[in-house]
Amino acid sequence: MTAETLAGVAARIRRRECSPVEAVEACLARIARLNPRLHAVLRVDADQALRTARVREAEVEAGRLRGPLHGVPLAHKDLFAGPGQPASCGTAIPEYFRAERNATAPARLEAAGAITLGRLNMSELALGPFGDNAHHGDVETPWRAGHGAGGSSSGSGAAVAAGLVYGALGTDTGGSIRLPAACCGVVGLKPTYGRVSRAGAMPLSWSLDHVGPLARTVRDAALLLGAMAGPDPADPTASPRAVPDYVAALDGGVAGLRIGVPDRYYWEGLDDGVTAAARRATEVLRELGAVLLECPLPDPEPLNDLANLIARCESAAVHARLVREQPHALQPVVRARLEVGFQPSAHDYLQATRLRARATRTFVADVFATVDLLVAPTTPEPAPALAVVTAGAPGDVIRRIGRFSRLTRPWNVLGLPVLSLPCGFVPDGRPVGLQLVGRPFDEATILRAGHAYEQAAGWWRRRPPLDDAAGRR
Amino acid sequence: MDRSSTPADPERARQLAAADLAAAIERAAGDLAIAEEPAGFVAALDAGAPRGDAAPGAAARP
Repeated sequence: MTAETLAGVAARIRRRECSPVEAVEACLARIARLNPRLHAVLRVDADQALRTARVREAEVEAGRLRGPLHGVPLAHKDLFAGPGQPASCGTAIPEYFRAERNATAPARLEAAGAITLGRLNMSELALGPFGDNAHHGDVETPWRAGHGAGGSSSGSGAAVAAGLVYGALGTDTGGSIRLPAACCGVVGLKPTYGRVSRAGAMPLSWSLDHVGPLARTVRDAALLLGAMAGPDPADPTASPRAVPDYVAALDGGVAGLRIGVPDRYYWEGLDDGVTAAARRATEVLRELGAVLLECPLPDPEPLNDLANLIARCESAAVHARLVREQPHALQPVVRARLEVGFQPSAHDYLQATRLRARATRTFVADVFATVDLLVAPTTPEPAPALAVVTAGAPGDVIRRIGRFSRLTRPWNVLGLPVLSLPCGFVPDGRPVGLQLVGRPFDEATILRAGHAYEQAAGWWRRRPPLDDAAGRR
Repeated sequence: MDRSSTPADPERARQLAAADLAAAIERAAGDLAIAEEPAGFVAALDAGAPRGDAAPGAAARP
């Protein structure tokens, strides 16, 4: 039952072929069996989840469905807070982040019928792309022992891939939804800046943070996005734009769609298996009728400089009290990254935000005049060996962090919507992710293209080797 | 100064990292227009969005 997609289990619940209670019980049993290895789930509230499931079950029997997620078990990154529901944010402090109102995105999913099972592990303060966490345990990709789930929404990626839940929320400041999606072989969507409310989510860098879904298929991600996108009085940066029916737009295909393939930066220095899988994916899109165009892009390195300066300044401002009063509570690499943010001047920060405005305007006008979307790998290598990438002095680790997230970070500066979806596997079984980058607020087009590719390629049918003798530990 | 390796002193390392970033930003900002403001970022996203808000089937959240 837990091998189903979110859309699949939701449809079966609507048809009364399974009940919300059965769905919750199946997820709880799987969490109990697999989480000791994966460390994806921090806390389960089984009693509350089962109580809610019984209510949803009665509603189904009465013919009263709350929405497209009715009775579907989900869990979310442990940085969404509400009254009486503080979040650890991956730190050693269980009640680090508090909020006076319920976080908007998970509340909207619940309003659409979803059942929240608990809280998922993450990189400390959402600062880390590999999946390691010294306080709560490293999160491994379900595909290969000893290799990271990617971060910072590490628990979200691993939980969805392992079938512990049918979908999850993550946040993305420099790749934190897309990196775990790639490392865990699932779909991750960073929406346009402003598409999904950030209210009640721990801020890391308020002008670069995005809330978005991780799920097993593009259709599942479209369902989740549609249920939570839209304006929110609690978040002034949430856009007032109307929310399209993302699911209805999925089946349009890619015939005639102009897909830009960037040159150089996005294809240089990659693992051979990543290159082969991503190149083959572009060929599949061509075979489906898309028009592939070589697409030189502005140099992404200045965008990464902007991302680093803005993120360091804003995160140091947000978490200054923790860094100054309890520095030793933080992992050394996290502390070092935050402390850099105390150094730049106000002049540097303001110039960076002005440069960002210009870069976004010129990029959108120039690039999307000739293409409808862009395609590029998500990571330069598959899920990394945790013992390797976390070794050494903080400076060494920080350089590895920069390299591993170099293909995702530029899109946060530009605020564009980006879908990461599986595009194959390297020979040792680790998945490879592909990014589809769209125009602002045009999530519908990247979801449509992603769905067409996903259905043609069929990677979503593969499951990690957790249930056979070789995968069980 | 060679910045390819990390100085042993963490404070010095932080200063160098920040100085590198600041220098990169200052170089890029040399030809910024006087009227360029940070709010132009959100304006650029709005201006670049598909016309009519969305594809067929678009509906505002109730």
